[in-house]
Amino acid sequence: MKAKAITNFLSGLGVPLVINPDLVIEKNGRYYLTNPVLKQIIRQDFFYAGVFLGKVKNGKFFPSFNLLTMISKKGANRIIIDKKSAWLFICGRDILVKGVIRILGPAKKNSNVLVVNEFGECLGFGKIVGNLSNKERSNDVAVQNVSDIGDFLRRER
Amino acid sequence: MSGREFFQKRYEQIGWKLKEVNLKQAIRVNQTYSKEKNLVNRLSGLGLHLEKIPFLNNGYWVLESRVSAGATAEYLLGYYSIQEAAAQIPVSLFSNLKGKKVLDVAAAPGGKTVQLSDLMENTGVIIALDVDKRRLNALGNHLERCHVANTVVYLLDARQVSTLKLKFDRILLDVPCSGNFVTDKNWFKNRTLKDIERNAKLQREILTKAIDCLADQGEIVYSTCSLEPEENEVNMDWAVKHLDLQIQEVDCYGNEGLTSVFGKQLDSSVRLCKRIWPGETQGFFVCKLRRSKKDESKGNY
Repeated sequence: MKAKAITNFLSGLGVPLVINPDLVIEKNGRYYLTNPVLKQIIRQDFFYAGVFLGKVKNGKFFPSFNLLTMISKKGANRIIIDKKSAWLFICGRDILVKGVIRILGPAKKNSNVLVVNEFGECLGFGKIVGNLSNKERSNDVAVQNVSDIGDFLRRER
Repeated sequence: MSGREFFQKRYEQIGWKLKEVNLKQAIRVNQTYSKEKNLVNRLSGLGLHLEKIPFLNNGYWVLESRVSAGATAEYLLGYYSIQEAAAQIPVSLFSNLKGKKVLDVAAAPGGKTVQLSDLMENTGVIIALDVDKRRLNALGNHLERCHVANTVVYLLDARQVSTLKLKFDRILLDVPCSGNFVTDKNWFKNRTLKDIERNAKLQREILTKAIDCLADQGEIVYSTCSLEPEENEVNMDWAVKHLDLQIQEVDCYGNEGLTSVFGKQLDSSVRLCKRIWPGETQGFFVCKLRRSKKDESKGNY
C-alpha cells in the first residue's frame, strides 16, 4: 500500500490514517495527497501536486508540516510549550522540561510527539528523551527537536 | 544601446522622468488560513508595524520591524507572504476564481500561485509551470508553507502548454521579462535593447501558445515588471491585431497604457492597460484580455 510509510508514522503518534489512500500519489519517494479533480488531470511527470505529505529517505519517513498540521487537529500526541521555548524550537533547539506547559497523550520515552505553541499551532515534532513532568530537573532536555517549521528558512540557504 | 542615459532618454520620450525609488517591503495576508485583524495584532506585538496598502485588498506595507518579516512563526506557518505591492495586482484582476481551472506560467518562486490559491479558497485547480528546476524547489516550499492544496506543478516551458491537453478558465501570464532598475541595482549596466527585443519575442510566443488553451469566456492577465514598452503596450497592440484578443477595462492602481510609443501609434484599446511607474511600488505593467466576440463565436461552432 502506497501510504504504508505514512500509516506507520501516524500510528506512532497515536492517530489513525486520516487520509484516503486512493488519493495518495508517490513520486521519487515523495508523497502527495490529491483530490478527485486533481487526480483526474494529473500527468506522470508532475513535480509537485496537491498537499505534500512527506518523503521517504533511506527507508525512513519524514513528514511534511502539512501532514503534522493535519494530525495535530486529529488528536495526535502532543505537548504545548511556552512562548520562549516555541521561538527556540523553530530555531532548531530542543525543548527543556521547564518549557512544557501541557502534555496531551501518553508521552512515552523514545516516542515521537508533536510540538504545539500556546495558540495550538503545530511547530514541528520531536522525540521524547526525558521525563516531561519532572520539575526538579527543569533544565533537562525533555524533547529532542526532529523537525520544525524553521526548516522552511534553512532550505532556502 | 544600453546604459542609464540611454534608458533615461527613452523613459522621457514616453513621459516619465527617471527617479530613485526606495522600495517599501510589503506583505500579503493569506486569507484562507488566517484572520487578518488577529494577524496584524500578533505581528504588531512582535514589533512588526504594518499599514494597509490603500489599493490592495490584503496587502500591507511593513513600516517598521524589530524582527525580520520573513522569519516570524506567523510567516513560517503560512499566514502571510512577502510580496511586493505591485506584484499583488495581476492576480487581483481576475473575476470569480473559485472552482476554476487556472494556468500560471513562469510560476516560480510562487508568490502569485499562492495568491491565486488563496483567492480560489483552495478550490478548483491551478497548473503551475516553470522551466527552472531549482526555482521549482522554492515554489514547492512556498506551496507547502502556505497550505496550498489545489496546485499541480510541472517542469515545463510555457510554450509547450498544449501538451497538457487542458482548457483553462483563467490564465496568468506573468511572463519572463527584463525586470526594472528598482529591484536590480545593476539593471542599467546589464540590460540592452537587444535583451528587451528578445524578451518581447519570447513573450509573444508564450501568449500565442497560451491562447490555444483558453476556454471560451476565459480571461488572461498579462503582466511584467518591465518598464519597456516593447514588452508591454507594443506586445498588447500586437495581441489585439494578431490574436483576436480584446483588452478589458480594469480598475486598479496605475496609469493608462501608452498608445503612442516612440512615434508609433498603437490600438486605442491599449490605454485600458495599466502602467505602473516606479514610486510607491516597483515598476509594473498589467493587462486583462479576453477573446474578441467574433473569435468566441467562431470557437463555438
